[in-house]
Amino acid sequence: MSNLESVATLPEPGLLASHAEVVFPIRDQKQLAIKDLTEGFKQWRIWFMLAYQDIKIRYRRSVLGPFWITLSMAITVYSMGYLYSHLFHMELQNYFPFLVGGMLAWGFISNTITDLVETLTMEENKIKQIKLPYSLYINKVIARNFIIFVHNLPILFPILLIFHETAKINLCSLMLIPGLILFYINALSYGLTLAMIGARFRDVTQIIKSLVQVVFFVTPVMWNPEILPPAKRFIANLNPFYAFIEFIRCPLIGTMPSITSWLMVSVITLAGCYLSFKLFCRYRSRIIYWL
Amino acid sequence: MARIDLRKVSVEFPIYNVNARSFKKKFLRLATGGAVVKDANQHIVVNALKDITLTLKHGDRLGLIGHNGAGKSTMLRLLAGVYEPTSGDLRTDGHVSPMLDIMHGIETEFTGYENIMQRGTLLGLSRAEIKAQIQEIAELTGLGDYLSMPMRTYSSGMMVRLAFSISASIKPDILLIDEIFNAGDADFLEKARGRMIHLLNQSSIVVMATHSDDLITEFCNKVLLLEGGQIKYLGDPGEALRLYHN
Repeated sequence: MSNLESVATLPEPGLLASHAEVVFPIRDQKQLAIKDLTEGFKQWRIWFMLAYQDIKIRYRRSVLGPFWITLSMAITVYSMGYLYSHLFHMELQNYFPFLVGGMLAWGFISNTITDLVETLTMEENKIKQIKLPYSLYINKVIARNFIIFVHNLPILFPILLIFHETAKINLCSLMLIPGLILFYINALSYGLTLAMIGARFRDVTQIIKSLVQVVFFVTPVMWNPEILPPAKRFIANLNPFYAFIEFIRCPLIGTMPSITSWLMVSVITLAGCYLSFKLFCRYRSRIIYWL
Repeated sequence: MARIDLRKVSVEFPIYNVNARSFKKKFLRLATGGAVVKDANQHIVVNALKDITLTLKHGDRLGLIGHNGAGKSTMLRLLAGVYEPTSGDLRTDGHVSPMLDIMHGIETEFTGYENIMQRGTLLGLSRAEIKAQIQEIAELTGLGDYLSMPMRTYSSGMMVRLAFSISASIKPDILLIDEIFNAGDADFLEKARGRMIHLLNQSSIVVMATHSDDLITEFCNKVLLLEGGQIKYLGDPGEALRLYHN
């Protein structure tokens, strides 16, 4: 009880003097943003655990557990594959692998996007109670969707067996790894931006959700761009979602993404990293007040 | 050595009304040159904390008192790193453990044991560290076999027991506490109190917000009396309580 000399309503000279020795950290927004990102990555144990538990909670009292994800996806893609191959007059063995691969990729991408917009608003309680990097929550959402994606992969196995002439596992399948890494980088960068916008403007979540629906129909997920007249192919080629879908779909069925897709993904990735980093530096410290 | 320094720290909250949050309104404002929703951007700013200068060193036990809305919780969240100062400088040395809402991170679908794992990980413990302590935590809860049951089967008192026991098992340098001595039955309170004192003694710096005068006089060597986000008094607990009650 001896160290309570500071009895004052205003800060005493003594108190201020003691500050002279203290070196306060300079609040550089850029460094704080970088720290948030690196810390968010380093604490992977936390976000991986949270992501896994999200899925566990969702299916806790069900018999099939997370394999409900697989089952419902399987029913969707198998019935769509059969019906649409006849609708579009496509060869079953060409169309079926194309559609299944595309639907897996699309499910992964679209769910990640819609989840990312809500990330910060959904985690409001946690964010206000404990200091964790904002990027940790983004990583968590990506990890959760990645786990779901992996759960969906077994749907592909029957396809690889039945249509082994058009869909196979080969060297191109290895392209899935850089594809997923690029997907992660983009999900993180665009995710930060989307989550910030979603926290600041609450109706953006609804806007994004309906936009994603539209994107599904204008993107070659269930229709092959080859059925477009050559003069209209640009509709597919200029669509960034198509490039990302190609990056996941092609390795799944053993083909290579086109040069156009590579160019598109590179441009989108660079632009996203630059823009998101700028925005994150500028608005990171404001996020807490938007929640 | 843990240490906290604040120099002229202020925290300002912009209050966003519903209009300002809507993208549609923002768009309308752009499109109409501001005539339609003229008042949408008039944010009200609340000065939650103003000009706080304070130094805490090893061994300090600071009590935060003040009326509702005086800034106690904001102060704790500022020290926890949740809020960043709008102006002024803040430096904290040491691992901070916030015990602001002890029910935070409790998932009712999970069993007691699973919650211990989850909460421990969130607080920065490794798997091995949690494993090493799990027995001790289980004993403190006194819940026995209930720990293997989902927490939705617990009574609210039992939940508090578990939540408290997990929080109390970490050994932080800086401990931040927000009103937690009001839960559980008498038997548990006795146990919790012992544990709490142990925890307080282990921490290098403790900052607690409380309405209990007994706690202040028993534990604190300094008291910060806040009023409207400003320091009304900083120093001797007895004097602070006298000012507070007048």
